[in-house]
Amino acid sequence: MIPELGRAAVLLGLAACSVGAVTGLWAGKTGRTDAWRWTRIAAYVFAGAITAATVLMEYALITHDYSVKYVAEVGSNETPLTFTIVSLWSSLEGSILLWAFVLAVWSAYFAYSMRNKHPEHAPWATGCILAIGVFFTFLVSGIANPFERVPNPLDNGPGPNPLLQNHVLMIIHPPALYLGYVGMSIPFGMACATLLSGRMPTAWARAIRRWMLVPWTALTVGIILGGWWSYEVLGWGGYWAWDPVENASFLPWLTATAFIHSSMVMERKEHLKGWTLALVMASFLLTLLGTFMTRSGVFNSVHSFTQSPIGPVFLGFLAFALLVSVVLLAARVDLLTVPDSKLAGPWSREFAFLGNNLLFAAFTFTVLLGTVYPLLNEVLTDVQISVGEPYFNRMSVPICMGILFLMGVGPALPWGQTEPNVLLKRLGVPTAITVLIAGGCFATGIREPTAVMTFALAGFAAAVTLRELTEAGRHRAQALGEPVVKALLHTWRVGHRRTGGYVVHFGVIIIAVAIAASSVYRSEAEMTLREGQTKSFMHYDITYTGTERIDEPHRWSRVARFDIQKNGSSIGNAEPRLNHYKTMNQSIGTPTVMSGLDEDLYLSLVQVDPEAKMASLSIVVEPLVWWLWFGGGVMLLGSIVAGWPSNRRRKVA
Amino acid sequence: MNWKVLAAGLAITAPLVAVLAAGFGRDPKLRSNALEGTQAPMFDLRTLDGEPFSLEEARGKPTVVNFWSTWCQPCKIEHPVLMQAARSYTPLGVHFVAVLYQDDAAKARAYLQRSGSHWPTLDDPGGRTAIAYGVAGVPETFFIDANGTIVRKVSGPVSQEVMVETLEQML
Repeated sequence: MIPELGRAAVLLGLAACSVGAVTGLWAGKTGRTDAWRWTRIAAYVFAGAITAATVLMEYALITHDYSVKYVAEVGSNETPLTFTIVSLWSSLEGSILLWAFVLAVWSAYFAYSMRNKHPEHAPWATGCILAIGVFFTFLVSGIANPFERVPNPLDNGPGPNPLLQNHVLMIIHPPALYLGYVGMSIPFGMACATLLSGRMPTAWARAIRRWMLVPWTALTVGIILGGWWSYEVLGWGGYWAWDPVENASFLPWLTATAFIHSSMVMERKEHLKGWTLALVMASFLLTLLGTFMTRSGVFNSVHSFTQSPIGPVFLGFLAFALLVSVVLLAARVDLLTVPDSKLAGPWSREFAFLGNNLLFAAFTFTVLLGTVYPLLNEVLTDVQISVGEPYFNRMSVPICMGILFLMGVGPALPWGQTEPNVLLKRLGVPTAITVLIAGGCFATGIREPTAVMTFALAGFAAAVTLRELTEAGRHRAQALGEPVVKALLHTWRVGHRRTGGYVVHFGVIIIAVAIAASSVYRSEAEMTLREGQTKSFMHYDITYTGTERIDEPHRWSRVARFDIQKNGSSIGNAEPRLNHYKTMNQSIGTPTVMSGLDEDLYLSLVQVDPEAKMASLSIVVEPLVWWLWFGGGVMLLGSIVAGWPSNRRRKVA
Repeated sequence: MNWKVLAAGLAITAPLVAVLAAGFGRDPKLRSNALEGTQAPMFDLRTLDGEPFSLEEARGKPTVVNFWSTWCQPCKIEHPVLMQAARSYTPLGVHFVAVLYQDDAAKARAYLQRSGSHWPTLDDPGGRTAIAYGVAGVPETFFIDANGTIVRKVSGPVSQEVMVETLEQML
């Protein structure tokens, strides 16, 4: 029954969003309220139908209904329940269904929240968003149909990809990324609506920003969780490898971040409207590109599923969306431009934002080029090459330094023209702190230029950020005689967008320091130990206490046990393991990570010889890695503060 | 219509779509195995210590060619497997040779001093040898038999089992 019911639900969804796309665009063009009402109803039906399809698929997975093609491909009776539930996104068809589901719910929520607002733009936007929905639902109903009926179902299946079965982070990392990817459709639809209507009132610009903040936050969380997952699971002690698919998630994040900054200039100064809209559109288009990279099999990556028929169709859609965006932008952008607009001088806030945008654009271009270059080269010369980490690191380090620098300078600069002496006064203390940190680094033997510069610039940015966060509160406390804490809390609440933004900056500063410290000051070694033997590495003593073989239905593993002492006192046992999956010719290790606030000890098992009672280990000590995940948490907190719905009663700060 | 915006937009997007479209029909994973069963490309390189090394001279003996770099973490995971294999199989007449990939010779020397090696590591200026072997990422390991034919190519770190099994096949 489920194959038929599921397909019926998908087809209903397809019909609903097709109708909604047409009525939405029509309502936008004619301004007819009845067409707008039908559009909203279509969006609700779309959401209901695809939700039903998703629930049916989950039901089929949980009840092991192998007559459903997708369940037959990724399900197995041995897989634990949690991983059965999340296997919805462990393979191609399921993840596209998830995509359609998230998009359907988003578009319905968007239509609902816009029911009484922005009559000039909301119908256009909803129409565009539902048009995107048509494409994805079309995929689910046709070439990527997960509900196909298996004629002679078996009573067990192969189970999901083993790499996706061994860590809880796999449960949240993909949905967070999806929320980010799919969420970009909403601001994209809104940008199209702006261009179609030819007008961008401030309230609408604010709305775009708010709808961008949610997918941006989800993407941030998704990217950081992805890094965390590869750190905990893949066994090479790193969290980022510039893999094509990692880059694919990073690219829209870069443009969306640039947008969040340029939209502030747009709101205040009416500048950069066309550019800001282009960034919104680019963010969505880059998520499409990212999905294409993951799903088409054109790129070689740990993430890519196999060659699939979806590739060409997806590329067609990507090309269509690109063309529509470029033509729409070119045709309508002049309507938005303010004729007499000129940016203030070089020492103004808007100029710093402009610099920030240029850096983010350069970053996007650099990463895009490095990702696509191997393919380009192969097409032109028929030779396979790869662009390795050295390219990305060489290019990204100076850009990141520039961004860190502007993160300090920008917030210190006032909007509009500035007098040089004001500037000196505002940047004096932070500059002194920078010099102090750089001096401190040299005095304590930290000489690596990348590290010194990162730490010094981070100090600079942190000092400015801290002042920006507290200045208003201190003034208020002085003026009203309020307690400082009360005054601070008040100003933070009133200016929550600003407050949140600065908290996000703090998160970024923490992450920058953690990345610099952990990559520049990482120490590693390999050692082979006999059972009972103890060897030292840095201030760690590692004793090999024995090994054990563990058999599971889908794999067998060898676990080696080590007793770890740090500076002479025990910090526990490490049990890194090597897993042998029946379907792969490589063994996959599960490393042990012992995290501390100062540094992580990272142990991966390289090989075990049970007869000779020997084990070889790869050991990495990386400082401050924990702070990377913490910084991610701070960024999340900041975005929640910034995106929190505003107080209706507008007060003057 | 703002023609500048249109031209700029198309100049960025059209080549991108063209490249992606041209990438179809090339399965990166399949293609990389196309070398198996063919003659290994010959090379004359210098070791990190400046000694000349020629693959031609290794003809007649099974040879393991490993492409690696110090910035590649999986290579470091693989290193002990190579060490162990070189210890056991060099006496049986297997040649082990490493080729440095997009990396600095000084860094490699420092790493090898710390971690040890029982085989020559070759500098590959301009990556010509890597290109000849179609190296798409490191580590990549080529198993070449006594006749100079590539028997197997492994992308990613070679596990001990695969290493032993392939070497036994070649001997």
